[in-house]
Amino acid sequence: MGLLVTTGVAVLLGVAARNEPLDAEILTTAVNGGASFGLPFLAVFMAIIGIFACGHEYRHGTIQPTLTSLPQRSRLILAKLIVVTVTTVVVTALSMAINTAVVYIVWGEAPGLFEDPIGTALAGYAIYTLIYVLVGFGLGLLFRGVPSALVVIFLMPLIIESIIMGLAFIPALDWLVPVVKFLPFTAGSRLMEIVPPDFGPGSPDFDLFSRWTSGGIFALFAAVILTTAWILFKKRDA
Amino acid sequence: MITAKGLYKRYRKTVAVDHLSFDVRPGVVTGFLGPNGSGKSTTMRLMLGLDHGEGETLFDGKQFGTIRRPMNEVGALLEAKPFHPTRSARNHLRMLAAGNRIADKRVDEVMEFVGLGDVRRKKPKGYSLGMAQRLGLAQALLGDPQTLLLDEPTNGLDPHGIHWMRDVLKTLASEGRTIFVSSHLLSEMQLMADELVVIGRGTMIFNGDVDTFVREFTQSQVVVRGPETAGLTEALKAEGAEVVSEDDALVVSGLEIGKVGHVAFTVGAELHELSTRRASLEEAFMSATGSSEEFVAKEPVRAAEPATAAAEGEAL
Repeated sequence: MGLLVTTGVAVLLGVAARNEPLDAEILTTAVNGGASFGLPFLAVFMAIIGIFACGHEYRHGTIQPTLTSLPQRSRLILAKLIVVTVTTVVVTALSMAINTAVVYIVWGEAPGLFEDPIGTALAGYAIYTLIYVLVGFGLGLLFRGVPSALVVIFLMPLIIESIIMGLAFIPALDWLVPVVKFLPFTAGSRLMEIVPPDFGPGSPDFDLFSRWTSGGIFALFAAVILTTAWILFKKRDA
Repeated sequence: MITAKGLYKRYRKTVAVDHLSFDVRPGVVTGFLGPNGSGKSTTMRLMLGLDHGEGETLFDGKQFGTIRRPMNEVGALLEAKPFHPTRSARNHLRMLAAGNRIADKRVDEVMEFVGLGDVRRKKPKGYSLGMAQRLGLAQALLGDPQTLLLDEPTNGLDPHGIHWMRDVLKTLASEGRTIFVSSHLLSEMQLMADELVVIGRGTMIFNGDVDTFVREFTQSQVVVRGPETAGLTEALKAEGAEVVSEDDALVVSGLEIGKVGHVAFTVGAELHELSTRRASLEEAFMSATGSSEEFVAKEPVRAAEPATAAAEGEAL
């Protein structure tokens, strides 16, 4: 499904902009399937798989037969984590390869695909997708269910962080300005940028971190969620 | 061999399992009995490391959590329907088998064995409770384990299924396996179990063989039948026995059969029957766990006699 949607974006873009020169923005958008429009489609679909990996065990009570067949809890989580990670990496690479093929079919070239900033932004997209999926995996394990994890993983980047960002523009709430660069999903999205974001004239100086430092904040957030979930999983009754 | 030592589990203010220690021997079926809420399922979950608490359980000397491929050593059936709704029954077992290096061929074998061969590719969400129990047993038997832990395996089974389950467990026990099984069907347990672990409110009430349990928790009775028992009744009461007339017989409590025979001989009573009536496991269970019930229901209120009801109606 994720592959289909991201390929669809590339095809749609190819049909609409086939007569325009292929610039960095169009090329990146085509290859990452419109990730820069908000949450990357593929990350969302793969995060659902990440949430299901543990959340479904509790939703359907299968955690009991699972743990009686594999009682070493860390071994179980590690196995699930490896499967989810490898699946995400393979699907993301496949999606990017398919979309690159679409670009070659439509424009016959993909200039600067492996160079900065396009290559870096595409690598950042793959890393963002993986971290986002790991956050989903951690939330599914932490909440021991699917609905709560789904709500958090969509609500946090799309609503909560957007509200904090919007409020930071109000002079009376300017104390929120230094907080923005630490918002995990906002920081993570910097991994996929081709050019630094422009918030318009008169906007506050968010003093955002660099691409990789921002990515590090997102990764740190994922690590905190995963570690907390892992520790609790080992301590809680099944 | 299962060795449980000092199993303890507390939920906030409630002690669910209170320092239980017992052994489950191989070669026999050991029944695990207790009223609702007595801590049977929690004990089994503690034994398998699903719940965290105090104490230790060893399966042939090893803790469950340290066994790398546990399905080959310990088979467990705890809940009736823990199945993924989109996975077929066969795939559910294949998934568990894969983690324990069990071949797919064995999955088909156990599904045939429990009678689900024809429906193995169907999703278990459509299974009846009885079919789900059979799939649960198939899961427990997947690795051909030496030890089986089964929580209420006969729940939802029809009489044929219960009979089949009893035969299966007794056969497995006769092969030298360790079988630990909880059930509420006491008549079934009486036929199936050789030994018992009986708990109430999380504490041990009895651990030993079924005969000893019945003997220990019930009073044996002597049945006396004869053409003329009036004199004998008086003589037995004089010896301190409790005598109840039941049809054409006397049921004597509080005296051994030999003593009853001696009293009959002394008063010259002619006897057509002198026998011991053994109490059932159910009677023994009720006697042993009566004060340990966690959830006590009210006795049903009898409907008032029509005449009485009418009189009360008039009074009102």
